[in-house]
Amino acid sequence: MNRPIGPMVSESEHIAGEAERWERETRGPALEGRKERREAFETQALKWPIKPLYTPADLDAVGFDYGADLGFPGEYPYTRSTRPNGHRTDFWTMTQVTGFGKGEDWAKRARYMLDQGLSGLILEYDLATTNGYDSDDPIVEGEVGRAGMALDSLEDLEKAFDLPFDKLKYLMSVCNAPQPVNLAMIIAALEKKGIDPADFVLHIVNGILIEYTCVGRYIYPPEHGLRIATDCIEYIIRNHPNWAPISIISAQLQPAKANPVQEIAYSLAIACAHIDAVLERGLTIDEVAPYINHFVVNVDMDFFEGVCKLRAFRKCWARLMKERYGATSDASLKIRMMTSPTTIALTLQQPLNNIARLGIMATACALGGAGEAMTTPLYDEAHALPAENAIRVGAAIQHIVAYETGVAETIDPLAGSYYVETLTKQMEEAAFAELDKVFAMGGAVKAIEGGYIQRALGREQYERNKDIEEGRRKWVGVNHLTRAQEKREIEIFRLDDSMEEEQVRKVRDLRARRDQAAVDAALDNVRDAARTGANLVPPCLEAVKAYATHGELCNAMRDIFGVHSADSQLMGI
Amino acid sequence: MNKRPLRVLLAKLGMDTHTVGVTIIGHALREAGMEVIFTGLKQTPEMVCAAAVQEDVDVVGISTLSAGHTRSLPRLARLLREAGAEDKLLVAGGVIPEEDRAVLEEAGVDRIFTMGSDTRDIVAYLDQWWAERQAEEAA
Repeated sequence: MNRPIGPMVSESEHIAGEAERWERETRGPALEGRKERREAFETQALKWPIKPLYTPADLDAVGFDYGADLGFPGEYPYTRSTRPNGHRTDFWTMTQVTGFGKGEDWAKRARYMLDQGLSGLILEYDLATTNGYDSDDPIVEGEVGRAGMALDSLEDLEKAFDLPFDKLKYLMSVCNAPQPVNLAMIIAALEKKGIDPADFVLHIVNGILIEYTCVGRYIYPPEHGLRIATDCIEYIIRNHPNWAPISIISAQLQPAKANPVQEIAYSLAIACAHIDAVLERGLTIDEVAPYINHFVVNVDMDFFEGVCKLRAFRKCWARLMKERYGATSDASLKIRMMTSPTTIALTLQQPLNNIARLGIMATACALGGAGEAMTTPLYDEAHALPAENAIRVGAAIQHIVAYETGVAETIDPLAGSYYVETLTKQMEEAAFAELDKVFAMGGAVKAIEGGYIQRALGREQYERNKDIEEGRRKWVGVNHLTRAQEKREIEIFRLDDSMEEEQVRKVRDLRARRDQAAVDAALDNVRDAARTGANLVPPCLEAVKAYATHGELCNAMRDIFGVHSADSQLMGI
Repeated sequence: MNKRPLRVLLAKLGMDTHTVGVTIIGHALREAGMEVIFTGLKQTPEMVCAAAVQEDVDVVGISTLSAGHTRSLPRLARLLREAGAEDKLLVAGGVIPEEDRAVLEEAGVDRIFTMGSDTRDIVAYLDQWWAERQAEEAA
């Protein structure tokens, strides 16, 4: 090859030089006497400066190396995809969250959703259930069956599972703090229905540590929360190896305004705490990691932050498993992600605009690799519980992205973009730096007990809200293109108040007719297991079969573990 | 001039545990010079009423993002009246559908700020109320 005479110049130095020339000769003069649209161009959450142009010189500056940073799909470090053929063999599982009312209400809505082409469902419970109370506890008055399905006893779940299990391939159950009780109830309900647990995948969320950092649906102090989560994980690994015993819901940190770096770092730190706890039960890393690699990850409206976060997430997980734990199996090194457009990008104002936002974010999820599954929130979430029309549109959005856009026809199509690779690499490095900070504090449990993560999130929440109020971030319907008279554009779904009374009546009626002595004995066994450290799932299973209620079982554990309470400091306020 | 800073109790009523809104409000009120006390999560109307009286606050601010507000807020308003604390300002925010507004206002909620309200409007509203209250007391 002929090279120009003179000192040898690498291609990237050449391009860097050319970029300077372009700045001087072309861009600079074009800007003379004119201002750019914004004072500072920066990414939405991280507030990292965005350059006007990225070139191969930027890749050099961050030390980008194709083999080390990307590799190939299905191979370490999995940046491009954990799946060898991306989404050319199958699309992601298309799921949606649902839950309200009584068991039979849930079954009716779930059947409707399966008919809309969804094959996986996420079962959300009401706040009475997730916080460990029965429907007739005075403290939960007004909340029964509202933010999710009411669950008091095995009877409720038997009604909820009146479903075509030939269509339902995947069920995620979202019940963190009372997870052993919830897991036991699901196992018992499947048994009663005669469904082979090997025929579909139950995925329990069980990611209790995140609840202490933001969502707050905890019951017991963190150390005990971690222990009961570990009991469930160990039970599933040993008894239902095709199920998924935990999900780290990074998608709870994101709405709490964790930026992508915090989100990756805190989620991974929390995963490590769970892994360490299960390792103590005598399993090896390659037995454990393939079960603790489930993450639910949100994408927000900053398209490239979203895409790069998903790519960086895959690589960070692989590096962490390899470098920290010496994991070697492919299954350990591969993260499994469910991705989702975030609810916090959706507005109360002009709710139909949310359909556009959901389409854009779902596209970013797909371009970031989508993962094993995707779930879409609904355009009316800020108003009320979802109406059927919103569910239909939510399901359609995923099908539109999958079938109409072509984004999933080749694997990781944005790879090689100078901007995307620069941002991906910077996120990975910043996430490891933050992760090291948490490890230096003694890990996730210590960082939570000291309030570090909560305070970091509290600051982000306040600062990012100020960006909107002070107009640095434009948000259609909120501080941009607002309309003085907002007329409601959509129908909203209302629940009948009599539902709560009925649910309360049902649980009281159950208590009156069951074998109380059997229940009392079973609850004593649960207390014993809580005290001695024996796995809590088997005694919970016996107790739910005797129709001990959800709240009674949570109370039995409260007797031993006590309850967690958080003050301003621990809440980041 | 205000003689002392406004004291605000922020509380999450019931089982709803979404805390972003209340955190942002807490920071904003504090930055505006108010004293902020946070109850923690999962409070009953009885607990909030007791805390409001014991902490001798001027304002009780409730954040609710679940659907239980049509029962719990009227009950809190009634408890505050029964405790002789109806002079405290009762403000609520969060996901509160438009059609519930009348019922809540009727029951004694002084002001409702729905999701997306500007913290500067909330601060201005509280400042004005406080100035008027102090003027009344001085008169």
